[in-house]
Amino acid sequence: MTPVTVVWRYLQGRFVTSVLTVVSVGLGVSLVIASVLLTRGIKEGFIAGATDYNLIVGAKGSPTQLVLNVVFRMDAPTPNIPFSAYEEIRHDPRVEAAVPVAMGDAYQGFRYVATTEAYFAPFSWRRHVPAVSTGRLFRSEPSGKPDYEAVLGVDVARRTGLKAADRFFEGEEMAAYPLTVVGVLRRTGTADDRAIFISLASYWEMNEISRQATVKPLTAVLVRPRRLSDLTALHRGWNVAPDLQAALPTAVLLNVFNLLGLVEDVLVVVLAVVAIVVGLYLFVTMYSATLERRREIATMRALGARRVTVLGIVLLESCAIASLGGLAGILGGHGLAYVGASLLAARGGPVTHALALGALQPLTLGAAIALGTLAGLLPAVLAYRTEVAENLAAL
Amino acid sequence: MTRAGPAATLRGVTKSFPVADGGTLQVLDVERLELPAAGCTVIKGRSGSGKTTLLNLIAGVSVPTGGTIVVHGTEITALPEARRDRFRAEQIGYVFQTFNLLAAFSALENVMLAMMFARGVPRRLHRARARAILDRLGLGARLGHKPGQLSRGEQQRVAIARALANDPPLVLADEPCASLDAATAREVLAVLLAVCREGGKTLLVVSHDEAVLGAGDRLLDMAQVNGRPEAGA
Repeated sequence: MTPVTVVWRYLQGRFVTSVLTVVSVGLGVSLVIASVLLTRGIKEGFIAGATDYNLIVGAKGSPTQLVLNVVFRMDAPTPNIPFSAYEEIRHDPRVEAAVPVAMGDAYQGFRYVATTEAYFAPFSWRRHVPAVSTGRLFRSEPSGKPDYEAVLGVDVARRTGLKAADRFFEGEEMAAYPLTVVGVLRRTGTADDRAIFISLASYWEMNEISRQATVKPLTAVLVRPRRLSDLTALHRGWNVAPDLQAALPTAVLLNVFNLLGLVEDVLVVVLAVVAIVVGLYLFVTMYSATLERRREIATMRALGARRVTVLGIVLLESCAIASLGGLAGILGGHGLAYVGASLLAARGGPVTHALALGALQPLTLGAAIALGTLAGLLPAVLAYRTEVAENLAAL
Repeated sequence: MTRAGPAATLRGVTKSFPVADGGTLQVLDVERLELPAAGCTVIKGRSGSGKTTLLNLIAGVSVPTGGTIVVHGTEITALPEARRDRFRAEQIGYVFQTFNLLAAFSALENVMLAMMFARGVPRRLHRARARAILDRLGLGARLGHKPGQLSRGEQQRVAIARALANDPPLVLADEPCASLDAATAREVLAVLLAVCREGGKTLLVVSHDEAVLGAGDRLLDMAQVNGRPEAGA
């Protein structure tokens, strides 16, 4: 028999209360873990999905909307710009690479991205080069005949079950323009995993308005300058144009992170309130248990237990509840974060499964135990101060 | 185990409690009381005569307002509280009127608990020793039972086993039969006397139960022990 056995027996003796208290601590801890992991996952998702191009040129409007739509496939597309704008940008001597992009409709929720083979070019400065794992890229050039070929992001292939040589379309009006899968991309960890890539010629022919238009539309042009020193001039130059804007993806990403920072601040307040509520619940549980056990505490003291021994037993019980709740909460929090991240990712949100073990888990467990110690302190002092002779008789 | 000298000696022991009007109420005034080693002493007295207070003072669970108490040569009134607790754990067994078993613990664990607070018995021997004592008291088949699963007589026998767990030379019993029916009371009292006599222990029983009064080797009246017999306890 040791103080640990005594605590274990006490926990068993109040099984339902003990389990409920462990669950309440676990819920609080899992909320903390899930919030931190999801916030971290969203940040990492934005960083992983960030483009290697320094500028995005599109129609006048919100730069955040432009970047979120073109890079992360979120938000609605900005208005179109003429294909001629791309031609001008491409021939600017300060530009090393320019890639035209047109955002189309969607197939089973996966957006069409019309572009050229340049989108997949393996420039040395690119971190993620979309390359095919099976099949090949589409071939048609913007000025050529549409090939109606599609290259699928890896998540599109997995979720739709489409594979090379399959033909597909969505809606009766598109039946005349079925696309043929010619390749599937390797996983990139970016929004490209959830996109269907087609050639611009195919896109223009599939779209009723652009089919008849003489000025072919684009959503944006991704731009990489030859020298970073030209970036500011290019940015300013295109922004003063009457119908164009140039957005800096890094600046937009900073704005997004600033917004996330605000969300984090609110979360910290909410989680602090949760910690206080959980701590109070644990305190009330331990306090009422100690009041109920005054006679047993007096009996232990009469059997020779020292004051510090009964103080230690109450503190140990409080810490045991907090530890069990903390461990359950860490496991539950990871499960919650995984489900949350999967749901977000399924809806096209930039999020990674940030489930790696690090300082978060031991720190959270330590905080839970510290909370348990704090909540058990007053009940422990109550046990410490229990007068033996007064409490030995039946209460 | 028989020791030389008295098991306990009280000299000029008084005990007062604070009362609502800010004053104090003296409930015990023992000029001199000597408890001979070995054998059974019974102290009789009506309710409120200070019997339980006297036992609590000898056990060291409460401190006298004045006077000295010596138990087996150790002046417990001079010991700091932590040492008095340790002394009580190792030298004094206490049987309560209402058993005071811990509800969440089995009979075996209740007995082992007493050993946990003392250093007299090595930890590896706790289980075997508790089992042996309970066996001796006829509870060998009830080791894993919780107090709620035992009869009142069995509960009191577990309490006796717990009091004997650390092989203390002095056993105090506060109205050990008051919560039992007459037949069970006789049975429990016989067990208590037998195990104390076998072990050469000093047994001090306080009771107002007629059945207990004739069981000891020596009978004292609380009215003579306490100089303030009219005081309530």
